[in-house]
Amino acid sequence: MKPKTRTTVAPLMLLSALAFCLCAAAQQTAPSSTQRLQSYDLSREVSLVGAVVKFDPASATPPMGAHVLLQTSSGQVDVHIGNAQLLKANHFELNPGDSVRIVGEPLALGDATYFAARIVQKGAQAVAVRNSKGFLTTPASAMSQAQVDALRGVR
Amino acid sequence: MKRLLVAFSVVAALWSASCSSGGPAIQPPPPAGKFDVTNLKGTYAFTTSGEVCAGCQVAATPMARAGSFVADGKGGITGGVYDVVIQGGATSAVISINSNSSYTVNADGRGTLTLNVTSNGAPTSINFGIVLTSTSGDGLIIDETNNVTQASTGSGNFVLQSTAAFQVSTISGSYVFDFTGFDGNVVNGPFPESLVGQFAAANGVITTGFEDANDGLGLASGSMAPGSLTADPVNMSTSGRGTAVIEGQSYAFYIVDSTRVRFISSNTLNGSGPMLAGDAVQQQANIPLNLAAINGSFAFLVGGSDSAGNGLTRVGRLTATGSALSKMLMDVNDGSNEVPFNSLSNGTISSYDPTTGRGQFSFQDSNAQVYTFVFYLSSQNGGVIQDVSPSNVANQARVVADGSINLQSGSPFTSSNISGTYAMNWSGLVTAGGNIASTDEEDLLGQTTISNLSLSGTSDMFQFTSPTLTPNLNIGTAGSITLNGGDGASDDTKRVDMNVNLSGSAPIDMVVYVVNSKLAFFANRDNSGTPRIVAGILKLQQ
Repeated sequence: MKPKTRTTVAPLMLLSALAFCLCAAAQQTAPSSTQRLQSYDLSREVSLVGAVVKFDPASATPPMGAHVLLQTSSGQVDVHIGNAQLLKANHFELNPGDSVRIVGEPLALGDATYFAARIVQKGAQAVAVRNSKGFLTTPASAMSQAQVDALRGVR
Repeated sequence: MKRLLVAFSVVAALWSASCSSGGPAIQPPPPAGKFDVTNLKGTYAFTTSGEVCAGCQVAATPMARAGSFVADGKGGITGGVYDVVIQGGATSAVISINSNSSYTVNADGRGTLTLNVTSNGAPTSINFGIVLTSTSGDGLIIDETNNVTQASTGSGNFVLQSTAAFQVSTISGSYVFDFTGFDGNVVNGPFPESLVGQFAAANGVITTGFEDANDGLGLASGSMAPGSLTADPVNMSTSGRGTAVIEGQSYAFYIVDSTRVRFISSNTLNGSGPMLAGDAVQQQANIPLNLAAINGSFAFLVGGSDSAGNGLTRVGRLTATGSALSKMLMDVNDGSNEVPFNSLSNGTISSYDPTTGRGQFSFQDSNAQVYTFVFYLSSQNGGVIQDVSPSNVANQARVVADGSINLQSGSPFTSSNISGTYAMNWSGLVTAGGNIASTDEEDLLGQTTISNLSLSGTSDMFQFTSPTLTPNLNIGTAGSITLNGGDGASDDTKRVDMNVNLSGSAPIDMVVYVVNSKLAFFANRDNSGTPRIVAGILKLQQ
């Protein structure tokens, strides 16, 4: 019943072989490119490795939600990591200087693109912020069975 | 209890931080108008859709309700029942409303509704704010429950039921439906889901039907399997409740009358499954007989999710002359990225089937991005609409979103006919800053007088801006509407601006598409200020 919320490290190890650093400039793509990035595609995923420059749980930058500015070897990348509540529910903190690996891919938003994270990993802990279709994982998915059971009494 | 109190105090600080961005204090006007408790008398079918948390230790969960309550015209709710389903599909046994429940109605039509029920063997109350939109008691409703048992918010409405229609045989003829929510995929999902279509029913049997489904972006369109409508032997005669199987999925339903039935997913007790809810509206005989007969100006509003789960609204208008579309305008808010589209082209209604009322239209923007919608007309005045804009993957949409499309009438819209007292409701997502920053549900229900295109009224706003609920009651509400001209004869072809000023908050900028003097669709369009993705309606109080 309870959806998976924490990913194992194994898939990340596999993806790390494909480690790829996306430069910030690559986020600005032509409209024809954005039309190819309209939906999440696991085969397009890349892994960003870098240090947290800034974590903003409620960024004014679209898309709405939490963003992390990541310093990679190729430059800084702004990454959308969904709802900060999900990280909090998983006791997952991001602070400046933290080394992280982020699995995700660029997605279109209007005429521009943004980097959408699916998995955020710091040390041995990884949190899936999107599911395999690319939809944001809701914080409710981090509930314990007891918390899920409590919902059965809602009116 | 102590834990919740601590949480509430933290959230209260958050509200202050996120909303005291320079807006002036606004005193709510004294309630004035024609309403009182006698206007709510009879049996009413209600629905709400929003979020709930129990214990509120982690986060809120999507939830929908549908049910029926009996108002005595004197401030008492004497009974009723309702169904609840949450994301993931858990449902409870039908919930009975205790006879000691109550309601209030102020002169301006605003009021409260308190349903006393039992949860896990203990008494509790579910609280709502209401605004009457007619003297027969129809109205809009917002969930304002905030107690030790649960916190929940969400928006919906209630409609006077015809108790004489409380039998399955009442559901007869063709019905257009729009069920929306989440699928029952508990392995990788749940994913947002939208079902629109048309079915024919007689004597408890759904004989034929055609459905368009968007389940987590996956599109499917085709004939429906036969289904059933069965009376609830305990609650049909008093509440109009029954159970249904439609396209293999189980629902509870509440009969309003022969023209409207309200559905909600009903899964195995405490099991899993979809969370879907919506209305089926009887299809009138006056729907256009062919594509050439579709003529007029239409406003539309859809809400849902983009391909990555970001909140999405599209609000706009178009003029149909047979298969040709013109004067298309659309405002999109995708994940708080708000874009007004003024140069839409190649507008076409590519198909229309008068036997089902189903059609499909599309247009494209200046970057050749194509927007496509399926619609089902329930009358010549409009129907339901589903966004099926294609992605680069076959049979997969770019978004999951649905809503309404309505014929515009009564233009030109001026300060003379956009005037009177209106109920105002919006629902969606908001992001609040602070130490517990998050993005979550926001619902607002208010009543406002519009005079000389200025707003003056009172609103309730509830936000899940942290793991707990932030209630804000009786907010002074002001604002202004700016008409953008037009050609004098048909300025329904123009978008309208509306600034909503909530006491102590920065103005919230909305784009409005007027359907007629009694109804308007709107969505927020401001790229600055507190990020939010909300859409709603203004509805004249009659």
